[in-house]
Amino acid sequence: MKKLLTGFAGATVIMAALGVGIAKADDIVVGFATASSGFMQAYDKPAQDAAMIRIDEINKAGGLLGKQIKTVAADTKTDRAEGAKAGLEVIDKGASLVVVSCDYDFGAPAALAAEAAGKVSFFLCAESIKAGIQGVGPHSFSASVLAAVQGATMAEWSYNKKKARTFYRLLDTWTEYNKGICDGFDWMLPKLKDAKLLGQDTFKNEDTSIAAQITRIKSLPQQPDAIMLCSMMPGVVSAVKQIRAAGIKSMILNGSGVSGGYWLNATPDLSDFYVPDQGSVYGDDPNSAVNDFNKKYKAATGGEPSSQYVYPGYVMIDVWAKAVERAKSTDADAVVKELEKMKDEKTLFGPRTFTSTLHHQNRGRYLITEVKNGKPGVVDEWTISEAIPVEYLMKK
Amino acid sequence: MTHRPSIFLRSLSTPLILILVLVAFLALATFMNSGPFNQVVIDGLVKVTLVVGLYVFIGNSGVLSFGHIGFTCLGAYATAWLTIPPLMKKMALPGLPEFILEAKLPYGLGIGFGALFAGAFALVVGKILMRLSGIAASIATFAMLAVINTVYSNWERVTGATSSVVGIPIVRVVWPYCLAAVVSIVIAHLYAISRSGLALRAARDEAIAASASGVDIGRERLIAFVISAVITGMGGALSAHSVGVVTPDTFYLNLTFICLSMLVVGGMNSLSGAVMGVVVLSVIIQVLRQFEKGVSLGGTVVSIPNGLQEIAIGIVMVVILIARPTGLTRNQEIVWQGWPFKRVSAATEP
Repeated sequence: MKKLLTGFAGATVIMAALGVGIAKADDIVVGFATASSGFMQAYDKPAQDAAMIRIDEINKAGGLLGKQIKTVAADTKTDRAEGAKAGLEVIDKGASLVVVSCDYDFGAPAALAAEAAGKVSFFLCAESIKAGIQGVGPHSFSASVLAAVQGATMAEWSYNKKKARTFYRLLDTWTEYNKGICDGFDWMLPKLKDAKLLGQDTFKNEDTSIAAQITRIKSLPQQPDAIMLCSMMPGVVSAVKQIRAAGIKSMILNGSGVSGGYWLNATPDLSDFYVPDQGSVYGDDPNSAVNDFNKKYKAATGGEPSSQYVYPGYVMIDVWAKAVERAKSTDADAVVKELEKMKDEKTLFGPRTFTSTLHHQNRGRYLITEVKNGKPGVVDEWTISEAIPVEYLMKK
Repeated sequence: MTHRPSIFLRSLSTPLILILVLVAFLALATFMNSGPFNQVVIDGLVKVTLVVGLYVFIGNSGVLSFGHIGFTCLGAYATAWLTIPPLMKKMALPGLPEFILEAKLPYGLGIGFGALFAGAFALVVGKILMRLSGIAASIATFAMLAVINTVYSNWERVTGATSSVVGIPIVRVVWPYCLAAVVSIVIAHLYAISRSGLALRAARDEAIAASASGVDIGRERLIAFVISAVITGMGGALSAHSVGVVTPDTFYLNLTFICLSMLVVGGMNSLSGAVMGVVVLSVIIQVLRQFEKGVSLGGTVVSIPNGLQEIAIGIVMVVILIARPTGLTRNQEIVWQGWPFKRVSAATEP
């Protein structure tokens, strides 16, 4: 037993000695407390790569406040307790900006650690209103756009541009994100004159068959012009396939969760399928700078962006760096103040607005991607006519 | 006639040594004064509390319980209900009763109530479950875990369903966790040397003989079940305060199996095994994690691929169990009988 005791005592001392690394005092440090293993890695890694591209650009252009940006990273292992540790670790290494996991649930522990230490934290691409002031605190932000905006955008766009008047709402109750899309749709629909909801239904992402739901749609006296499908990977693919196989021809409106063409092989010849995107991953973005970014991304990572969820990472560093320049400091309160002054601040992927009550986008420009004969392409863009009120979102 | 000291005095060195080990970690954390290292130690101490809680029931009764992490969930949510600022609670968890909605207790009280809540629940459920024995009891406890998880994952207005519950005060100092682990060790030890603890171990080793000698097995098991629920409930509340977020899936299979593995690797029939299992496995995990990040040894950076830690820890556990099927401590307690330490079989003398 003595051996055992001395053994672990020795091990702890070694471990403690290895623990600490120190950054140079004259660098600005960005800390990534994100997942580099576990399932969240699939979401965090691409957005983080995009953030690195922006950091590179800034460093090459002379840095921030005359200093180079240095990055440190700690793996959350897609685990909440490890997330808190990862947050503390990057703060310990001097991070003035703590970047946390894409998803609110997995990013929150690290963001809370940053908040407690008085540091600015950014969720890579969380789309829940909780990812910010409401669920973390006054120094926390999200780089993406609220899920509700996606639902509202699709409703208003299809009403105006596709003359859709009758809708059907199909909600996959698996995640908050899905519910968020439908919340935005619910908020927008009553504002559209003569628009009518013919019916609504729910299913679960893991359901292998949605035959019952499809039967209910088919037995409606009149087929809807559009189906608002609030769902995400992986279950959404099967749902779409079943809807089309049943001969339902209505257009299908979605959230950004189905962005990207990687899954379309599973639904050959899919048509009348619409997706909101912050930027185009198909090489046809109306803004040529986005297409240039895609090339840069390919050069850096070896592949095209797989979905629009790459982009918020770039936006995040962009707006944060601008705020630091304007505040002339990395002090959290000063940076937050500058971020909150941003109103329709131009970024590569649409304007960004932050206020003292909302560190997220309750309005935003979206490109509309149409999938036609199995091929995705940008056909339009749309910004909802008014922002979704924070009070409405909080009640949900 | 030689006077034999009481069992309390004879066995006193075991909890003292274990407590010293934990206090050494507390001292090391204070000395290091580094945020992430503190968090590692906190995490370890929470695990010590949980595994000691498991030991109280599993070690003494010999019934493998898969359900105790359910109590951890109860404790964590109970302290969340009581310590989150009322304004946030009204928005996130509007279904709570009025007096809980208005409550804003300090974290110490929250942890206390969390532990009691888990204990009260165990008393009710245990009354039924403790009539079972062997594999039936194990499966029943597992069913209890599944029921608790399902209820907490779906009761939107009271638990926030699968959404994260935030606003729990975060405690980043180490001593409360150390104190809780020490308290749980003391409780576990006192129970083990109590009349009930002895009776239950007798029933574990020879059920029929114990029964014939007047041991009410169901009753003794229930006592152990409730005490261990209080400790694991306290551990759950602590884990809520260490991260600041609770979700039902944190307290499910992953945590169940890591805690059971720590107990089995340490030696599940001894308190020393429970503590040592956590300490040894936690240290190995941390060392492997350092290697994942890269360690510079004599100028060259040695690193292992991300995710290898989980595989390596599995292999380490297998090797330990092959070499020592009864755990690192061979199911014995560490006692002080002059230098060096000696092991005494837990079966004959705690």
